[in-house]
Parts: sequence; structure tokens; C-alpha cells
Amino acid sequence: MNRIKEHPILGKTEDKKEVTIWVDGKALKAYEGEMIAATLLANGIKVFRYTKKRKEPRGIFCAIGRCTDCVMVVDGIPNVRTCITPVREGMKIETQKGLGSWERSENDE
Amino acid sequence: MEDIIICRCEEITQREIEAAIEDGARTFNEVKRFTRCGMGLCQGRTCRVRIEKLIARKTKKPPRQGNYRQPVRPVNLGIEGDILNE
Repeated sequence: MNRIKEHPILGKTEDKKEVTIWVDGKALKAYEGEMIAATLLANGIKVFRYTKKRKEPRGIFCAIGRCTDCVMVVDGIPNVRTCITPVREGMKIETQKGLGSWERSENDE
Repeated sequence: MEDIIICRCEEITQREIEAAIEDGARTFNEVKRFTRCGMGLCQGRTCRVRIEKLIARKTKKPPRQGNYRQPVRPVNLGIEGDILNE
């Protein structure tokens, strides 16, 4: 785990409630109120999606909800910007392939 | 250098945008219709300024601001529905 333990504005990380999120079937420990991207980065996950045309990996780029490079499939909904979406208990997150799809299917690309 | 991606959403390279300008595109809107740049998820939030600069550099004219459309921030259609139901 790689996190900022104490932040001058956001306070101490230990004060926050722990929740569990599921990323590609793996359980990860997250802190309530933090963004999905923060949990992923703290757990060493840097690839959030693969692009449609070149199938290249993408992750955090702007981190302020503008560039849509960090989008993933969250609870079955594709193109969710993980850098501005807070975690919730039991959230299911999947690496997005291309533009994603609303149902999990073989033709994801 | 020219293979640098300018529009990250639609994966359009500098080479493709410069080719569009050489083919006669003179505004951001025209480059967009030639190449699809700025038509992806982020709707040109990342690439618009860079494309305006590329056009200015290629045509040797001062940069002109491209089209801006609402919404300024991406919102779910459901949110609009909630506003209408209130």
C-alpha cells in the first residue's frame, strides 16, 4: 500500500472508514470518500483501460475529471471517470476495453 | 514527433491533423469534421487548444477559438431527468 498518511487539508487517512471494492474480481481495501483512482494507484494498478484503435493502455492523465482517460466500467456502467467517482462498499470495477459496453459480453471492443 | 497523439479520446495524431490542414481545413470545426478529433468522450477538452495552435502554426495566422457547446462539464442524462421531474 502506498498512500499519503497525513495530508494538511484532507486529514489523517486512518480516521476514515474502510470499505472493500472489487477490481477485476480482486478485493481491494479502500477508504470511504476517496476516489476509485486513488485506491487503484495505492494498490499499484496503473492501467485503467485499453484504447479502441491502438489497444494501448491508459491510466491517470489529468486527474480532475476533464480528459476521460481514466474511465472504467463501474457496476456495469462504462465510461465512468474513476478520478472523480468516490468509492462505495462492494463496488465492482472492471478494466475497460475500447469504448466499453453496458452489458458484459464477448463483443466488448 | 508527428506521431504524437493530439486527441487522446479518438487517438488522432499530429500527422493526421496536419494532413487535414493541408487538405484545406482552416478552423477547429473543420479539422474535427475531417479527422474526428474532439468528438470523443471528453469533447475536445484536452485537444481543442492544441489543435487551434497547430492550425495557427500551419496557416501562419493568429489562433482562433473553436466551437464551445454546452454542457461545459459532462453530465449523465439521468441528472437532466431529475431536474425536469422537480
